[in-house]
Amino acid sequence: MRALLAGRVGSQVAGAAAVCLVLVLGGLAYASGGPPTRDILVTQMLINAIMVVGIQIYIGNTGILSFGHMGFAAIAGYAFALLAMTVERKQRILPDAPLGLGDSSLPLGAAAAAAVGVTAAAGAVVGLGLARSRAKSGAVTATVITLALLFMVHEVGIAYDDLTRGRDGLSFSVGRGLDGRWPVYVALLGAVAVARLFKGSRIGRMAQAAREDDLAARAMGIDPARGQMAALLLSVAVVSVAASLRVFQLGIVAPSTFFFDYTLLTLAMLIVGGRNSVVGALLGVVLMTAVNESTRHAAGIDAAGPLDLVLRPGLTDMVLGGSMLGFMIFRSKGLIEDWEPDRWLRRRFGSQEQEPPAPTPAAAPGEVRLTAEGVTVDFGGFRALSGAGLEASNLEVVGVIGPNGAGKTTLLNVITGLGRAAEGSVVLDGRPLVGAEPFEIARAGLARTFQNLRLFPALTVRENVAIAALAASEHRERSGGPAVEQILVRAGLWELRNRRARQLDYGNARRLELARAAALAPAFILLDEPTSGMSDAESLAMIEEVRGMAGCVGAGVVVIDHDLGFITGICDRIYCLDRGRVIAAGPPEEIQADPRVQAAYLGSAAGAPGPVGGPNPAEAQNVAEGPDPDESPGPAENLK
Amino acid sequence: MIDLLQSLIDGLGRGSVYALLALGIALIFGVMHMVNFAHGELITVGAYIAFGATVTGQWGWWAAAPLIFGGAIATSAAIELVAFRWVRGASDFTMLMTSFAMHFVVQAVFLMFLGAGVRSFPRPEWADYVWGVGGLNIQVIDIAVIGATAAALAVTVYLLQRTMFGLSLRAAAEDFDAARLMGVRSNRVIRRAFVLAGALAGVAAVFFLMRTGQARPATGLSPLLKGVLAAIIGGLGNMSGAVYGGFLLGVSEVLLRSWLPDNLAGVTDGVVFALIALFFIFRPQGLMAVESAERV
Repeated sequence: MRALLAGRVGSQVAGAAAVCLVLVLGGLAYASGGPPTRDILVTQMLINAIMVVGIQIYIGNTGILSFGHMGFAAIAGYAFALLAMTVERKQRILPDAPLGLGDSSLPLGAAAAAAVGVTAAAGAVVGLGLARSRAKSGAVTATVITLALLFMVHEVGIAYDDLTRGRDGLSFSVGRGLDGRWPVYVALLGAVAVARLFKGSRIGRMAQAAREDDLAARAMGIDPARGQMAALLLSVAVVSVAASLRVFQLGIVAPSTFFFDYTLLTLAMLIVGGRNSVVGALLGVVLMTAVNESTRHAAGIDAAGPLDLVLRPGLTDMVLGGSMLGFMIFRSKGLIEDWEPDRWLRRRFGSQEQEPPAPTPAAAPGEVRLTAEGVTVDFGGFRALSGAGLEASNLEVVGVIGPNGAGKTTLLNVITGLGRAAEGSVVLDGRPLVGAEPFEIARAGLARTFQNLRLFPALTVRENVAIAALAASEHRERSGGPAVEQILVRAGLWELRNRRARQLDYGNARRLELARAAALAPAFILLDEPTSGMSDAESLAMIEEVRGMAGCVGAGVVVIDHDLGFITGICDRIYCLDRGRVIAAGPPEEIQADPRVQAAYLGSAAGAPGPVGGPNPAEAQNVAEGPDPDESPGPAENLK
Repeated sequence: MIDLLQSLIDGLGRGSVYALLALGIALIFGVMHMVNFAHGELITVGAYIAFGATVTGQWGWWAAAPLIFGGAIATSAAIELVAFRWVRGASDFTMLMTSFAMHFVVQAVFLMFLGAGVRSFPRPEWADYVWGVGGLNIQVIDIAVIGATAAALAVTVYLLQRTMFGLSLRAAAEDFDAARLMGVRSNRVIRRAFVLAGALAGVAAVFFLMRTGQARPATGLSPLLKGVLAAIIGGLGNMSGAVYGGFLLGVSEVLLRSWLPDNLAGVTDGVVFALIALFFIFRPQGLMAVESAERV
């Protein structure tokens, strides 16, 4: 039992069961002894809970605001009604039903299952469209596509008289009413458990990573479309079950059953409770049901005087819309940000984690080469790179320097697939990479960091690293790379492993980005200005960290920086870029002595505060020799 | 040929309203990076003002029109002050949700104080005049709305291209932070963007309402959707794109209505939505993509 509650799946299912139990018992306690309307209210609340949890699976994990879920619910509701209605009833109200729908009837369970199937098929089509439109968290186009679905279904519901009886809707009684609430209980438990398990699953966590930062997720080898599609299908299935139950309970499905009013209600529940948390969604359902009932109750009072102004139809909408607005402004994550009850269970029953040993450097791996040649990039009329390139092996650290605007980051973007080159080739270990998606390139073995940090802010430090390890284990043969825990220790982040990434200070955030790249167990780690914004002492410490981390996973390093002290301290070989061309390449000493490099740097340094005027040979000499890595504030300061 | 020309004129008349709304949505998106789903409420406000002026007050449209125009501006500024100011710079999800919530809140206000019922008001007599020219039947209101839209667009272009306000607005749309560092006052430029968007919506509202002659809480929903769709079709944040998107949407709606078989006439909007969804799927960045390479 203890072991079960300490495990991931066990604790999640147990947590889901506990939450459902509280919800059901609370509802029953409220209903018992009250008028029969309370009984109906509780059933409705439980069905709403299934619906909202279903929506949570999509919106919570992907961060894409969907209005289409009520469109899916309408499809499921109509499908269920059409399949479950008795043949006699159909012949009476739908004499012209197409597809032979009028001549047969399914048992309730089968009808609901068929409704799930039909709706999931529609979900797959919409999901493909969303993927094609490059949906990501907060994307307006994706939201509008879902909105279009809602309106399309609504219009068809109104206009397709032969099948839907227009605005009147399909009313039916399937024989007996809900025989007890057992189907609702079972569906609720299933929905909550599925939502919780998905949130913790590999694919669910990948969807969340893409929600936090689409670009960084792609650079970590994650294809956001996959997680979004899985979330959508699962979400649509749960919503279909809830829709069938709701139609069954109401005894009617009409175009207005699943339209704006119900969208407003369910979204308000989700937003208030907390869209990223399953238990939050349930809390929102309870809370908004209570608020809604008390306003409806208050509005029913035959009020006079000043109260009269407030207690009017429309008040419910006002309360729902107003709470959504209030939460967006003051607490946009909702009441519960991310917490789930199983976290408590695991802490209560799990054992303390020991700090694992730091990983030892990997045995020298076989040589892998990365070659970029003749890369040319145009931005409009501006040629950012013309025929630039570099060559690196995974056994060395290669640097790229150059003044601002030289094209360093552009080159890195082309290599990692985030930028498109007009010409040129990029080859990793014999495999051409030009034209591949960023996530494919990451899977092939190139991990990168970003000039302006791109972590997954709402995920913990450990989750940030684990996501990359997960992507690596799914798509690459991990050649025995170190475990997530070991990487955390190596990066000095073990103590901070349960902090959220956005709570880290700048230095630790940089370290985490490096650790996350290393967890991908890549052939190369590409670092874009890892020391920008760091003091000289921190930069020096970074040299050791980069070398150590790369050694652990047996990766080569390609590093961009314009801090000469850092670059000469860390690199085996250096390329110097200027105005989109490689003007020099070689070991650090050679580069420092190269007059072209001096000219390039001096050219850009001339504008900086300091000696103004023509090229000053003494100054150039000074710069070129550069600071010794141990002697931090040097003339190189001027170059930053 | 004559049919096509007829559809073109009808479509431009219809599309004018969409174009004006879409341009306002694009302006606001430019300064806030938020799609304003409460923009349609400006038309709803206008509808009740029209009812109040023409039915309750028994004044004519000459009084209603300026009141609608002013009401739209005031409402736009008020919505910014009440809601959007507080989520400035928040995540895309938060801003999207906020504007939707605002849409529901404004509707609920009308529902609470004016009820769900439809209130009809008289349309100006000349709105129904039809002008026959060489086989074409040109509605006078189409000419009026196309003319007014052209004038409103001309004024907007002048404001954007020739005034300090326009310059700061365009700078803010390019890079808000940089613009602020250069002395653009964020509160002022955002407020003015809402005022300008409100004014454009006001012009749209006058002609939209002259055509429909109805006020109910959901009056603004349909034009809002078309405006948002047009803005996205044009490439969100691209102002001329939004205008083209509006006209394109209007013309294709009219063409579709004339081409669709009779038994599908009831779902014209549904077909339009399906086509637009397809368009977004294949060209999510819209007709004229805004050059905003994500910085990495």
